[in-house]
Amino acid sequence: MSEIGKLALFLAFLCSCYAVGAFVVGLRSGMAGPLRSGRRAVWAVCGLTLLATILLVRALVARDFTYRYVAEHTSLDLPTMYAFSSLWAGQEGSLLLWLLILSAYGAAFLWCYRKRLDPFYDAVAMVVACVMIFFTSLLSFVSSPFRILATPPPDGNGLNPLLQDPGMMIHPPILYTGYVGFIIPFAFGIAVLVMNRTGTRWIEEVRRWTLFNWMFLGFGILLGARWAYIELGWGGYWGWDPVENASLMPWLVGTAFLHSVMIEQRRGMLKTWNIVLIVLTFELSIFGTFLTRSGVLTSVHSFAESDIGPWFMGFILVSGTIATALILYRKALLESENRMDAVVSREGSFLFNNVLFVALCFATFLGTTFPVLSEAVTGSKISVSAPFFNRVNVPIALVLLMLTGIGPVLSWKRATGAFVKRNFLIPAFVGVLATLVCVPFGLRGVYPIVCVFGAAFVVATVVMEFARGVQARKDVEAPANPAALLHLVQKNKRRYGGYIVHLGVVMIFVGVLGSSVFQKEAHAPLQPGQSMAIGPYALTLDRVEDMQIQNATQTRAHVQVSRNGKRLADMNPSKAMYTKAQQPMTEVALHSTAAEDLYLILGGVNEDGSASIQAYINPLVMFVWAGGVVMVIGTLICMADRMRLKREEKLLA
Amino acid sequence: MIRPLVLLVLMALVAAASTALATESAAGRKDPARAITSQLICPCSCGEILSGCTCETGKSMQGFVTDELKKGKGKEEITTALVAKYGEVIRGAPKAEGFNLLVWVLPFVATAIGFVIAALVLKRWVGRRNPALAGAGDAPMTTADQDDLRARAEAELRGLRE
Repeated sequence: MSEIGKLALFLAFLCSCYAVGAFVVGLRSGMAGPLRSGRRAVWAVCGLTLLATILLVRALVARDFTYRYVAEHTSLDLPTMYAFSSLWAGQEGSLLLWLLILSAYGAAFLWCYRKRLDPFYDAVAMVVACVMIFFTSLLSFVSSPFRILATPPPDGNGLNPLLQDPGMMIHPPILYTGYVGFIIPFAFGIAVLVMNRTGTRWIEEVRRWTLFNWMFLGFGILLGARWAYIELGWGGYWGWDPVENASLMPWLVGTAFLHSVMIEQRRGMLKTWNIVLIVLTFELSIFGTFLTRSGVLTSVHSFAESDIGPWFMGFILVSGTIATALILYRKALLESENRMDAVVSREGSFLFNNVLFVALCFATFLGTTFPVLSEAVTGSKISVSAPFFNRVNVPIALVLLMLTGIGPVLSWKRATGAFVKRNFLIPAFVGVLATLVCVPFGLRGVYPIVCVFGAAFVVATVVMEFARGVQARKDVEAPANPAALLHLVQKNKRRYGGYIVHLGVVMIFVGVLGSSVFQKEAHAPLQPGQSMAIGPYALTLDRVEDMQIQNATQTRAHVQVSRNGKRLADMNPSKAMYTKAQQPMTEVALHSTAAEDLYLILGGVNEDGSASIQAYINPLVMFVWAGGVVMVIGTLICMADRMRLKREEKLLA
Repeated sequence: MIRPLVLLVLMALVAAASTALATESAAGRKDPARAITSQLICPCSCGEILSGCTCETGKSMQGFVTDELKKGKGKEEITTALVAKYGEVIRGAPKAEGFNLLVWVLPFVATAIGFVIAALVLKRWVGRRNPALAGAGDAPMTTADQDDLRARAEAELRGLRE
């Protein structure tokens, strides 16, 4: 079977090369035959990669230890669902997942545009095929998942215990769907330059693809945060770890693009800048993979380090150089068509919002890579972690929060003084009011105050926008309010979907503020029957017991929790010692409500038999997760705008 | 209009940069032990921020900080002692001195430069003459027109094929 897997990947490599060749011939000669053949080759890569993936998954689930990858990442006592997810536990498997998603994007792209005869779409597919060559060659010649052991061991090494979590079943594929998907906007951008294509139609298509990838990447990042919250057991969910930062950077630049692309669509401006953002987003997603795989930086999220870092670095350099050269070569194509009427306009605010998004990305990039740079220059090791990012990124993010409220309300072209006053007076008042209400509850410090003001300001502007729109519809159609609201969103999905995304962003800001500023912490060694207090909760240790679960021995504390004297729940923080890894893993106990999370950790069992219980109250954490869901809903509404475009195209036809 | 706006933003950035170098975490203001441990990294392989670390090394360092505070030692003194023992690598953020000052200053300088460039670009665009008025008779076909024509052509081709 391993030979079939190797052959499938090698054929995928050949097909990728053939696809590029066929597209080049077809595009140069204008003949339809080679282009059709190139398209079929992309489909073939997808099929062959799927075959290779199925073969590897089969070996993982069957625990076929003749495969080195299977022996390294599974064991006989590993639950089957984790044997399946060990596909992305190691380097070779996750590269295969990368290629699978990449080729699926290639196939999906060809399916979406199967009726378009424009060779421009073949040029896009050619760029995708070029990237496929890189990944198929890595998997065929450098890092094959189908390597065989001369003497298979009786049992494997097992899966890293941190990855034995249900969240890990979906977090990596969703994150990768976002990461890898940025290939399509990148391919569109390069194809535009190669084909010397003008017009704004392609930019609308890129916007939809970017929205899709952006949504998946954002949701994947939040799932990773949720995983860290539950699995790492330090009371938080975002530690500004290099791998977390690596996923955040393309998301930030992608967000900047989703804003600036609106200016290009409406005013024919920022063409060069948009192409730069597209290229940067893709390069940063490859850089993220490089960080995770190279071992250049240590990370709690990095599970598969190897020596393939230089390959990725080389790919980034080559693709970045080609893209830069093309942008310079086609400078004339990217000239702005329009002029601006006023600085105080939506275009102006979007431009500043772009500066801030890119600045935030730059700060994150600098902080993430600076330890390597500093060591190279000074010779001494340093760390750049959460204390740095909290001080540098937070003020930039807060200015962005303010712009989230300001930008969408400003009109295109020109916003007059009276317009600004009419739109911002009430939101500013609501912001001040919210701040004053929060101060007696312990709101202190510049950043928290700005955050509360900004959040209330944004919510007020969004609510006012909806209210104005509903009123306008009622004036025309006079339906009941809920129907008017529905019609409003249906009529302009892009605009109101965007507002919903902004509400999700505000929810995340509120959640982060609540759980960081108002977090409470207590820890104590407890003997059975003893209690400790944290906030309104009383925690009484009932007993500690050792128990055997499928592939680990678990020390579990039974803690009775009451709130204001009323019995609330029994919580079981525990430590698990996995048979294979032989390292203690923290299993957090969580009691979540909309207002706050009670988060318990079993620090360990002391020599005197007492259990060290560490407790946190994390207020408003639920807002972070709910904010993510709201953002997804808003993005889906934005993407549903495609229906309108299709209708318009039909009418045009 | 644009000059005061940019000046305001630049002043805000200077304020943010100086606050960044001086700010203490909100949790730290309430709990002096946390003020120290939330700024340090556990020196073992776990790499966690010390305040939330549950490994043995982390717990022993947390105990050390609490004991030293009880002895009346200050934040700087305790941090210096720990850095002397484990090295600069345990600081969660490097000291703003020498080469490492760059990491503190560059993000704000870059943001300021970005704002200045954006302001200059805006100024140029606002001052640009409307090309539609400059030579309406010779106006080239707009991209929207080209897109419409392309869509029509594709639809017709589809019709022919079907």
